[in-house]
Amino acid sequence: MSALEARDLVKEFGVRDGVRRSVLRAVDRVSFTLSAGRTVALVGESGSGKSTIARMIARLEKPTSGEIVLGGEALEGEALGGKVLGGKALGGKALSDREYRHRVQMVFQDPFASLNPFHTVEHHLARPLKLHGRVKGGAESSKMVRELLERVTLPAEFASRRPHELSGGQRQRVAIARALAPGAGIVVADEPVSMLDVSIRLGILKLLARLQREENLAVLYITHDLATARHFSDEILVLYRGRVVERGPADQVILEPRHPYTKLLAAASPDPSARGREFSVGREVVEAAGSAAAYDHFAGTWAAV
Amino acid sequence: MSTVDVKRRVLPRWSPKLAIGLGLIGVVVVFGLVGPLVVGDPNTVRDIGLTPPGGSFWLGTTQTGQDVVAQIAYATRGSLQIGLVVGVLATVLSAVFGIVGSYAGGIVDEAFSLFSNVMLVIPGLPLVIVIAGFVPAAQRGSWTIAIVLAITGWAASARVLRAQTLSLRNRDYVAAARVAGERTWRVITVEILPNLLPVLASQFVFAVVLAILSEAGLSFLGLGASNSSTLGTMLYYAQNGFALQREAWWWFVPPGLVIALFGCGLSLVNFSIDEIINPRLRDVPRKPGKVAATVEVVPATRGSDDAVLTVSGLSVVYQGEKPVHAVRDVSLTLRRGEILGLAGESGCGKTTLAYAVNRLHKPPAEVTAGAVTFHDRDGTDVDVLGLGVEELRVFRWSKLSMVFQGAMNALSPVTSVAAQLDDVLVTHRPEMSREERRKRCVEVFTLVGVPPERLGAYPHELSGGMRQRVMIAMALLLDPQVMIMDEPTTALDVVVQRGILLEILKFRDSLGFAVVFITHDLPLLLEVADRIAVMRDGEVVELGSAEELNVDPQHPYTRELLESFPSLTGERGGFVRGTPALDGGVR
Repeated sequence: MSALEARDLVKEFGVRDGVRRSVLRAVDRVSFTLSAGRTVALVGESGSGKSTIARMIARLEKPTSGEIVLGGEALEGEALGGKVLGGKALGGKALSDREYRHRVQMVFQDPFASLNPFHTVEHHLARPLKLHGRVKGGAESSKMVRELLERVTLPAEFASRRPHELSGGQRQRVAIARALAPGAGIVVADEPVSMLDVSIRLGILKLLARLQREENLAVLYITHDLATARHFSDEILVLYRGRVVERGPADQVILEPRHPYTKLLAAASPDPSARGREFSVGREVVEAAGSAAAYDHFAGTWAAV
Repeated sequence: MSTVDVKRRVLPRWSPKLAIGLGLIGVVVVFGLVGPLVVGDPNTVRDIGLTPPGGSFWLGTTQTGQDVVAQIAYATRGSLQIGLVVGVLATVLSAVFGIVGSYAGGIVDEAFSLFSNVMLVIPGLPLVIVIAGFVPAAQRGSWTIAIVLAITGWAASARVLRAQTLSLRNRDYVAAARVAGERTWRVITVEILPNLLPVLASQFVFAVVLAILSEAGLSFLGLGASNSSTLGTMLYYAQNGFALQREAWWWFVPPGLVIALFGCGLSLVNFSIDEIINPRLRDVPRKPGKVAATVEVVPATRGSDDAVLTVSGLSVVYQGEKPVHAVRDVSLTLRRGEILGLAGESGCGKTTLAYAVNRLHKPPAEVTAGAVTFHDRDGTDVDVLGLGVEELRVFRWSKLSMVFQGAMNALSPVTSVAAQLDDVLVTHRPEMSREERRKRCVEVFTLVGVPPERLGAYPHELSGGMRQRVMIAMALLLDPQVMIMDEPTTALDVVVQRGILLEILKFRDSLGFAVVFITHDLPLLLEVADRIAVMRDGEVVELGSAEELNVDPQHPYTRELLESFPSLTGERGGFVRGTPALDGGVR
C-alpha cells in the first residue's frame, strides 16, 4: 500500500520585479508515490524545484494546488478548499500538523544549521519523543535518547554534548536520530550529505539505508548527485524546471536515459575513465526538448506533461 | 562540561575592558545599595550654609547645610532604580514588538515594524519633555517618569531584535523544530530566544544607560519625578542654588562623576557583550612586518626548465592560544601549461596553501618557513614571499591570478561588469587606450563563453554560472601565467560546472597558462587534471599523475577518498543498499 501519494503538486511564488508582479511556477504538477521500504530519488539542478517539493511534503510550505494523501487520507485537499485540482480524494480527513508530523519527518541538508547551537543533543532528541507521546517521564526519555543514539552509531555520552562539539558527520547522525524519534514511517532526506566531507558521505547514506530496512521506511531522497541516486534508490524522478521529465527504475533512468536533460546530467558527472570527452548533449538540445513531454520507463512511453 | 559551554556561549570573554566595566558598575551599585544605610538623613537642614569639604562633611554641604555625601548616596540609589525599571520595561517592549512581530511575519510584522519606525523617528527627549510637562507635577512619581522613558526608548532595540529574529527564523533548526511538532510559542521561547540573549543583554544595558542619562536631563530641567531624589534632581538643585557661580564644585561635580563612571562602566560591559555577537571584534590586529623575519628563504632554483611556480618547504601556522599548523612543509612544482589538482577535505589546508602562495593569508596565519618562487616567462625568478607591497600589487593578478570560492558573489553589485573589468585594466595597464581596453574585455568574454553584449549587464542580471564565468574572465584579463582556482565551481550545478571546466581546458591549451585547481571532488580532478596532489592535515600525502592515482593509488587516504565516490555507471555490487555493518564508526 502506498504510504504517501503526492498528486499534481503545484507551487507558485509571487515575484516582484519593480512594479510588475509575476508568478513563478517552481513546481508544476508533480505526482509520485512513496511506499514502505522503498526509496524514491528526486534529482535535478538547483532551481529545479526539488527542495520546494521536500518542504511541501514536510508541510513547511503549502502547495498552491494539488494534494498530499497519507495512507489513503486526503490531507491538503480540505485545507485548500476550492483550489484543489481534480477534486477530493478518498473521503479526505484533514490531519492536524501534529498528526501529520507524527507520520512524516525530514532530514535537512545542512547539519551545521539544522541543530540549535544553544541546545544539547539530548534536547534535540527528547523533544520530539515527548511531543509525539513516545515516552513518559524523564528516565524513560533519557533511555530512549540513548537508544536512538546507538541506532545511529553514536556513543551514549554524546547526549550531553552541544552541536559545536560534534563533527559534520556526527551532527547529521543526530539529525537523522531526531527524524526517527517520532516513529514516522515516511522520511524526506533533502540533500542529506551534500554539506559533508566526501569521505563520510557514503557512511551516512549507508546508515540511512540500514535504518530504512530496519524500520521499513518510505524515503524521499532529494539530491543533485546522480551516482548516489542510482545506488541508493529504487526509483528516480528527474526534475527540470519544476516538471518531472523522466521517471523509472533507478538503473534504467541512469544507464538508459531518454530525455536530453537526463543525458546532459549524466554527461556532466565526472568519469575518470573518460578523460578528454566532450558533452554528448548540448544545452541547446535540452532547451529545444524543454519540459513538455516526460518519459516513463515503467510504461515505456512518452507522455505530455 | 556542558555548563562551561553555556557560559562560553552566553557570557562575554574575560578582558581588561570587561573587568574595568564591571568594577565601575560594582562600585556604583554597592555605593547606591549600602550608602543610604550608613549615611545620615540627606534632608537634614543645618544652619551652616554652603560649606566646602572637610571635617565631618567629606564632600561639604549644600546651600541649606545638607550633607552632600548623604545626598549622593540616596540620589545614586534613585537613579539606579529608574535605570533598572526602564531597562526592564524597554527590553520587554522591544522584545514583544521586535521578536514576536518578525516571527509572525506578514501583516503583524508590517504593523509592528511600522509602529516601531514611527516611534524611532519621533525625537526622544523633546517627546519626553512634552509628556512629562503634561503630567501635573504632583502626579509625576518615579513610575510615571520610568514609563515615559521606556516608551520613548524601546524602538531602536526593537529594530535590532527584528533584524536578528528575521535571520534566525529562517534557520534550518527553526524549521526542524517545526517539523518535530513544536508549537509556535515554544519555537520562539526555546529555540529562538536563547540565541538572542547576547543581543537582549546588550540592548538592556544600553537602555539602562540611556534611561539614567535621560532622567538626569529631565530632572535637571525640573521635569523629573516630584518627590524622588536622583542624580538629576541633585544637579537641578545645585543649578538653582547657583553652585556654579559660587564655585561650589563639591555640589555638582560628584553627581556628574557618578553618572559618567556608571555610564562608562555599562558601555564597557556592552562592548564585551558585542564581542559575543560578533566574534570578529575580538581579533587583535597583529603588528605586520614580523612575517618576513621568520621566513627562512630557500634559494630559488628553477627545478626543471618548464616550471612556472615552485613552492618549497612551505609551512603556514595559525598563531593563537594553540598554534595550528595548517600547511606543513609542502613542496610542489607547477609546470607551464599544466593543470595541477589539489584534492582534500575541509580543513586539510588546501585553501590556506593557495592563499599563502599569493600572499593573501591574513593574520593570525603566518608563513613560518619555506619559499615561493615564480619563474617568469622572460627568465627572471621572483621571490613571492619577499616582494614589497607595491611589487606585490603589480605581481598579483598580472602574473598570478585567482578565482575564489563563491566568487560569483565577489562582483560589486552597483557597477556594470564592464566597468569592473575596465578597472582592472586601468590599474594594471595604464598605457592602454579606452578602445584597446574595450577590445580586450570583449576578447576575454568570448573566451569564457559569455556573449560580449552582456558586458553592460549588472551582476544581478546574470545567472550564477554567468557570474562565475565573468570572474574567470577577469582572472584571464591580464594574461596571467598562473591561475589558482579555489573550488571555483562547487557552488554551481554539475552541468554549469562541467561547461566552465571544458572551457578552461580549451583555452588552457591555446593560452598556455598553468592552473592550480583546488577541490574536494577527486573524480572531477581525475578526469580534468594532469597531476594531482592529495592533501591531508596540511601535508601532501600523495602526488602523481591523474592516471597513476586512478589506477594505482599508493596512500591509504587516497584510496579512502577514491572509494567515497560510487561510480555512476559501475556495478551496483559494492554499494548495494543494505550491505550490513558498513555504515562506519563515529566520524
